[in-house]
Amino acid sequence: MTDLQWARISNDAFNVALFAYIAAMVGYFAHLAFKRDAIWQTARVVAVAGVVANIVSIVARGFAADRVPWGNMYEYSSLLALLVVIGALVVVEGVYKVRSLTGFALMFSVLTMAVAVSFLYVGPGPLVPALNSYWIKIHVQAAIWGSSLFALGGIATIAYLVVDRVERRSLDALGSKDRPPIMGGALDLDADAPADLVPDSAEDVETRPAKRRLVPSAAGLDRLAYRIIALAFPIWTFAVIAGAVWAQEAWGRYWGWDPKETWSFITWVIFAGYLHARATNGWKGRRAAFIALVGFASLLVTYYVVNLWIVGLHSYAK
Amino acid sequence: MGPVSAPQRLTPRQSVALVWRTLRSMRTALILLLMIALASVAGSLLPQWPNTPERVMRYRADHPVWGTFLDRAGLFDVFGSWWFVLLTTLLFVSLVACLVPRTRALWRALRTPPMQAREIDAFPRYAQVAVAAGPDQVIDAARRVLRRHRFRVARDPSRPALAGEKGLAREIGSLGFHWALILLLTGVIYGKGTGFSGLIAVVEGQTWVDAEANYDGTIRAGRFFDGDFTGTGLRLREFRSDFQRTGQPMDFVSRVDLLDPDGSVTRREDIRVNHPARIEGLWIHQSSFGWAPVIEVTDGGQVAASGPVVMDRDPAPEGVVEFAMPWRGVVKLPGAGTDGLDRAIELELWPDSRALTALLAEQEPQAMLVEFDPIIRFSVWEGALTDLSTNRLDTTGLDEVSSGIVGAGRTADLADGAALAAGDAGSGATISFTELRQYSVFQVGRDAGVPLVLAAAILVLVGLLPALYSSRRKVWVRADPDGHGSLLRVGGLAMQRKPQFEEEFDRLVGALVSSAGGRRAPDPGAGGPGPEQREPEEHEKVQTP
Repeated sequence: MTDLQWARISNDAFNVALFAYIAAMVGYFAHLAFKRDAIWQTARVVAVAGVVANIVSIVARGFAADRVPWGNMYEYSSLLALLVVIGALVVVEGVYKVRSLTGFALMFSVLTMAVAVSFLYVGPGPLVPALNSYWIKIHVQAAIWGSSLFALGGIATIAYLVVDRVERRSLDALGSKDRPPIMGGALDLDADAPADLVPDSAEDVETRPAKRRLVPSAAGLDRLAYRIIALAFPIWTFAVIAGAVWAQEAWGRYWGWDPKETWSFITWVIFAGYLHARATNGWKGRRAAFIALVGFASLLVTYYVVNLWIVGLHSYAK
Repeated sequence: MGPVSAPQRLTPRQSVALVWRTLRSMRTALILLLMIALASVAGSLLPQWPNTPERVMRYRADHPVWGTFLDRAGLFDVFGSWWFVLLTTLLFVSLVACLVPRTRALWRALRTPPMQAREIDAFPRYAQVAVAAGPDQVIDAARRVLRRHRFRVARDPSRPALAGEKGLAREIGSLGFHWALILLLTGVIYGKGTGFSGLIAVVEGQTWVDAEANYDGTIRAGRFFDGDFTGTGLRLREFRSDFQRTGQPMDFVSRVDLLDPDGSVTRREDIRVNHPARIEGLWIHQSSFGWAPVIEVTDGGQVAASGPVVMDRDPAPEGVVEFAMPWRGVVKLPGAGTDGLDRAIELELWPDSRALTALLAEQEPQAMLVEFDPIIRFSVWEGALTDLSTNRLDTTGLDEVSSGIVGAGRTADLADGAALAAGDAGSGATISFTELRQYSVFQVGRDAGVPLVLAAAILVLVGLLPALYSSRRKVWVRADPDGHGSLLRVGGLAMQRKPQFEEEFDRLVGALVSSAGGRRAPDPGAGGPGPEQREPEEHEKVQTP
């Protein structure tokens, strides 16, 4: 097949993936609203179909350009969207059995891909000399994996803050007389609150086993967010180190406070702060979660703002 | 400290202790960390002197008052400012203050056996089972089981009991990670302090020697740089650049010979953007490139100047690719003009003359990516030269006396710009464009801290993994005789990852029971303890990992 045909396959598959993700996202939200297992199973199949199309798009892009398919922001976005969806399906749904976050992960991927195809699209072509190094395989891969996990961690953190708020409200509504015998935000609402105060489960509090609850408790979400971020942090650390090694080779200095370096450092520092905050009294819980949210915002700045608006060595700004 | 009381005057000793305690706390470290992040944000949003000096100057010109204020505050050089250094120093002092006692504690923990416990049923996890074997047998078996599960085990000398501990890797990793950060900073300071970096431009066919005078502009040297240049050399044999038709660069290669201080060739290398050369501790990186036409100026049969002229390019205006811009250079000849005036010849090179034709005919700038019939437009100035620096011409005090065009391999008359045939001396003053060469700009530098920084970075990563993923947990085992066998009692405690420990503890109890001859049937009539396992209380289940 010619490069042109590969490029066309890649673009078509990209569109298929984008629409599959949108459909799956709608399905997951419908599942959250109506709690039908059938909806969830369908949405899952559609999401997997989107993953397949996304992989086809990325591989075809590699053939069209005759190089690794993560050489510019469009390609990076496509891979990031893919890894976020895979992470949501495999890690969050598979390992931690939490279904309620996948819709939001899909939303993140849909936005990423929509921005990529609308504003960042470039045709397949060779790499500029500065990128032409085997370090692109190591550094950029680590950066994408780290980013996708941080994104999932950010989504779990937002979910934690929302659920935590709901739980606090229910606690306040309970008044002081029935205050559950535990402090610190970790509550099993199904067990402690009157049925009419438990969101979305008024009719079957007794019958539904706690494990199958759709939205986990705030404590569970907090723990999930921590797990994912603790997984992402070493990967991000490695990405920054690999970037420094590459910078030494390409530019003759391992660190030069280029905007990209600075922002990846800021992101690293903020998440390091998050990990420490969780071990510090008085910073646990919501305060730590806000630090994680700032880290998530910093990640977006590291990717979009630095590349597009700040002039530097990683700049795609003209 | 006691309850809230009126602030009292502290003795100096107490104040020092208070400062030290404050520095040591995680909260201080956290706040310092976030302040450094905040300072870095400023450093990335404002233009910085070391990275983009021209943008700082533009900013200062656009905002005179505000710009001066920012400059005074060090916000145009955040990462070199005194307050950034202060923040970093404070963070690292705080780090050391926190690490020293922790390291000492770890050292003690590593050298002392796990501590025995008096009351083991008070631990968050607890189980007791009546087993068939006798107490000593139970404890010996338990020791093997715990060892197999990689616990450090200590036998209680006074009774049949064991203490086991696991997961010190977490603390070792965490301390390793933080010490490695300090090592990293040390490597950075050492490398930057003793190293330097500078730019050199070498024309094809020329040789450059590592000596202070041979660098372009100023060298960025560290505070402790000893001025020791190696005397090694670099000869540029050839420079090649390849572009796509779109103007996107594909590859730049400088083919060089690296020379000993005595001038002999040690090896040949191709230096590319991602492929530096190393010699005698120097890193040599491809930085940029340009054109250097070889020009010969004669006056009255005498050669007044001869050699390659290193040219540079004006910044391209909005909407024009930089490769469409002509290259500029100047030949300065003090005292060579009429009546002893200074003479300067300004040169404008079009490496691809089709671009000039297109520009003149269609007003359409065209990128010049290859050499094609190169031509030079020149103008001759006479008067008093104000500066003799080679690359730019300040025309104040000078008058333009003539101008013309000369193609590669041709000669023109300086007096009227007319082309001259070979052997034609014209007015006596001529300019020849002998050939077109390229020059290559290299960044040359030394940083002896690189290996240390790399090693520290690897340690950072290696320490991080156990620090994040392993957890410290302790178990205590006791076996007391109860007539028919023994009563096995197990207590457990996990500092982190408590939910996982619940499962691990249950498995461990299972293994201990089966190693002790298995669960004994309840004794009829004894009313003694049957199998009993306490569920953890609610708050233990939900603690953070």
